[in-house]
Amino acid sequence: MLNIWRISWRNITQNKKRFFFTLLAMILGTSFLTSMLVADKTTKDVFDYYEQMYVANADYWVLSDEHTYPEKLISSIQKDSAVTHTLLALDKQAFFELDDDHSLNERSVRITGVNDQNSPLLKLPVIEGSLDNKGIILPEAAAKLLGKGVGDTVRFTDMGEAKISAVVEYTQLLASPSDWESAESTSFRVMAPLEMLREWTGKNDEISYMRFQVEGDGTDLFRSFQQASVGSDVYIEPVVADDLQSNDISGLYTFFYLIAGLSIFISGFIVFNVIYTSVIERKKEFAIMKSLGYTQGSVSKLILIEMLLLAWLSTAVGVPLGIWLGDLFMQALLSVFEFDMVYTLNWKLPMLLAIVIGLLIPVIFSLFPIYNAGKTSILLALKIANQTSASSRRHFLRTAVGAVLLAFVFVDHPVSYMAILIGVILLFPLLLSGLSKLVTPILKYLFNYAGIMAVKNLSQQINRNANTAAILAIGISIILLLGAAVESAPKGYEKEIRGTYGGDMRVTSETPWSSEDRAKLLSYDDVADVETLTEATPITWKTKKGRSRQFSVLSVSEKGPSLFADPREKDLYKKLKQEPSVLLGNRAFDEWGGEVGQSILMNTPNGEQHFKVAGVVKTSHYSGYVAFMDEEYLHNDFGWTTSFDLLLTINSEAGDSIRERLWSDFGDHLSKVQTVEDEIASTTSAISGMNDLILVMLFLIISLASIGTANTLLMNILERVSEMGTMRALGFTKRQVSSMILAEGMLIGLSGVVGGVATGVILVYITSKSQLMEGFVSFQLPLDNIILAMIAGVSLSLCAAWISSKSASKMDIQSSLKEG
Amino acid sequence: MIKVTNLTKEFVQGQERTQVLKGIDLHIEEGEFVAIMGPSGSGKSTLLQLLGGLDVPTKGDIQVDQHFLNKMKERERTIFRRQKLGFIFQNYQLLPTLTVEENIAFPLHADGKLTNEKNKWIHELIASVGLEGLNRKRANLLSGGQQQRVAIARALVNHPAVLLADEPTGNLDRAKAEEILVLLSTFHRRKKQTIVMVTHDIFAAGFADHLILFKDGVIDQVISRKEEDYAKYLANFMA
Repeated sequence: MLNIWRISWRNITQNKKRFFFTLLAMILGTSFLTSMLVADKTTKDVFDYYEQMYVANADYWVLSDEHTYPEKLISSIQKDSAVTHTLLALDKQAFFELDDDHSLNERSVRITGVNDQNSPLLKLPVIEGSLDNKGIILPEAAAKLLGKGVGDTVRFTDMGEAKISAVVEYTQLLASPSDWESAESTSFRVMAPLEMLREWTGKNDEISYMRFQVEGDGTDLFRSFQQASVGSDVYIEPVVADDLQSNDISGLYTFFYLIAGLSIFISGFIVFNVIYTSVIERKKEFAIMKSLGYTQGSVSKLILIEMLLLAWLSTAVGVPLGIWLGDLFMQALLSVFEFDMVYTLNWKLPMLLAIVIGLLIPVIFSLFPIYNAGKTSILLALKIANQTSASSRRHFLRTAVGAVLLAFVFVDHPVSYMAILIGVILLFPLLLSGLSKLVTPILKYLFNYAGIMAVKNLSQQINRNANTAAILAIGISIILLLGAAVESAPKGYEKEIRGTYGGDMRVTSETPWSSEDRAKLLSYDDVADVETLTEATPITWKTKKGRSRQFSVLSVSEKGPSLFADPREKDLYKKLKQEPSVLLGNRAFDEWGGEVGQSILMNTPNGEQHFKVAGVVKTSHYSGYVAFMDEEYLHNDFGWTTSFDLLLTINSEAGDSIRERLWSDFGDHLSKVQTVEDEIASTTSAISGMNDLILVMLFLIISLASIGTANTLLMNILERVSEMGTMRALGFTKRQVSSMILAEGMLIGLSGVVGGVATGVILVYITSKSQLMEGFVSFQLPLDNIILAMIAGVSLSLCAAWISSKSASKMDIQSSLKEG
Repeated sequence: MIKVTNLTKEFVQGQERTQVLKGIDLHIEEGEFVAIMGPSGSGKSTLLQLLGGLDVPTKGDIQVDQHFLNKMKERERTIFRRQKLGFIFQNYQLLPTLTVEENIAFPLHADGKLTNEKNKWIHELIASVGLEGLNRKRANLLSGGQQQRVAIARALVNHPAVLLADEPTGNLDRAKAEEILVLLSTFHRRKKQTIVMVTHDIFAAGFADHLILFKDGVIDQVISRKEEDYAKYLANFMA
């Protein structure tokens, strides 16, 4: 009895090389997809992990809009029976006393004193030592930089000294610089026992905040304390794990999805090309089957099973390979961040997703060929007679639709990108024909008559060859766009940061700045202006879907520093003045999920309040994950009364000297000095590392597309067996046949590269001119990527052609002639 | 022109060895038109392939135009084919992407020897096979008879020492076949072209000077047009 699965297996493995290359393309497509899904999930987990580590098991915290507050203010909570754990913390800025010669800003350190280092409200992964509530806890990066270990003594200027009791992994709470260069602008963070810090500072009854855990949801306690503390210096907030304020990695996720989509699209396209050709080749076979009683459905089923076998095989190999690649990718990705991050590979859900997609996509891409196989007419001769006029009509239609879609370059809309890419695919036969004519003299020079034959051969299956080149082109163009975005992003960020930073330097103090402090700062030669910046933080709020989030609310005024960029800036200030309302940064607005004019719910020092959202603006502050409020309403209605930050306008050359002087003059309460350049450097540092990843991705995508080229050339050769036999019989040497195939591969690769670079340039150009991007991406070509694309595109296509040419030159003349 | 000595060809498939040609001796003079006939599997097509250097014998010598094909390397045989031999196939074997003119010029292109003089010769050939005005037409758009005419012109373009034709009329109707055979016969008479033709068709064989009959891998009979038997044999066969 006939076993349809066995027959299908025989069919797909009949041509070993084609089977191998198709399977390879599918495996690589599935594995790239899997690796990106794994990377996506694992990256999310990594950031969640660090956020959860920061939050630990705390439910609420009581903070102050002053730096510290008396412990007695929270005694009611400490006594509440619903409260299971509390953690008291006091922050104090200090300086390390070091043997080496380091500036004050390099030595600045924030000490957090806690009443219990082993509290369940703290998560400190210990690398060395123990949390004994007696000594200092150092993060690994700081310990390495200072050359200290457990048992060593650290000294703090004018405060005291203590032994190191533990070295811990990176946590947000103790985020510290890992080199002296970043120590210039970032303080170290260490942890000490609360009593020790109180002893050193004399703040015996003071704390900066208290975190606590409750039984149940603690809403009653929260509400009652919130009401009781209105008008006081303290306020209560739920503890919310929200990493959006500290990380803007949405672009990274877009990158993952783009690469995953591109890989699966390319392999799907290769599958389509192969299966469609296979169906066309086997029309006679299907006609015979149908004449013997096979129905349309049973022929289609045969092809579907072939496809399922391929999909199953590629998924079985591609998914495990992808998980391994995902691990490699994560190692490379996390190495671009400033601090050492640990991760646990999240592969289970991505694996399931990849299996589903890996099985479905090949089938979806082969639906048309499957349908086409079933529709095979027994009267093949008639079919073939009709085909000539139909295909020329189709060719015209393809070109016309392609031209229309390409006209979307003039439409500034996200959909235009898809339209342009489809337009390019449709216009590729035209490009391939045109380019073939242009390079014929070069091919003739390089390959003699074999070069001319290559040009003529390519025109024989112009659609298939053009599709193959188009796959390469699309891959190249998207990666070029990505490369251009990554390359110009630092400039875009710099422009945005400089436009909305509000000054040249931001100085943060532990205590509110006095008028004497301001006067002293203004007396500095290189300080032109000093403005106050009020930041209410952390403020929790609800999204429209009811999720708790957390951000900062910054005060703004028409006469104050410009903290956001908007063409309707003056109108927006007026709106903020009219009633207690907020402007949301674009990321906060997206996360909130409402519309301008609606209200946002926030937990303010004056209790839970609704504020109308007056608009959405672009700002560099917290990458747009922030809110702005008129300074008077922030003070009176919102309930935030103090300012710890100043924005200085300075002579740009004098940044370092001012920084030194600030630490020297205000070292007793200064906690942070950041210049606009520091902010730019910290925002763009991870982006520059992405460039290397883009180059690797470009190479991988071109490799994947080149497998498509090898496969197409093999199909072309197989279809032209008889012609090649004739050529050999008439005196074409094996070398001439090889040269001919090489020239064909070179033409496909060249047109893919030329088309890809041209499309990439168009995409970069329209992105740079797009109003939607607001000039974030400038029109600059990623030359490194273009050069790599050209070299890799042509050379890998030549490799693909070389593999195929070996088959062609080894062909047996007599059996080839019989094929005719 | 052609001298074949003790020609043996064996094919091996798995454990099975099949001797297709069993020690054949054959001599064809310059300018002769020879038809080879025989039942399927008798070895006639294999002989033609060996004469054309498309395959190598298991044993024996093949001498064409004073060159031992069996002693040549693969590349030498390829170059010999494009310079000294002409091929006509049953299914024409034209290259579909090339025009009539380009198809005919193919062996010269492959040899890198297309000159103005040769171009003139190509046009003469096109005229002589009755395809004037079709120079730039794609070969695959021609009728079967026209395609075979192109194939004949292509086979003659390099002034071959020997023209090898494998069932040249096998795919044509009687009228078209006759036209092709007349054409071949004309070239044979006018240019003293040596032709070796494998055919199943006794009508086609009637145009040849000699008829070689194959049976079980050996030459069964050689009949010359000059001999009385030839006419008798053909008449009997036709009857």
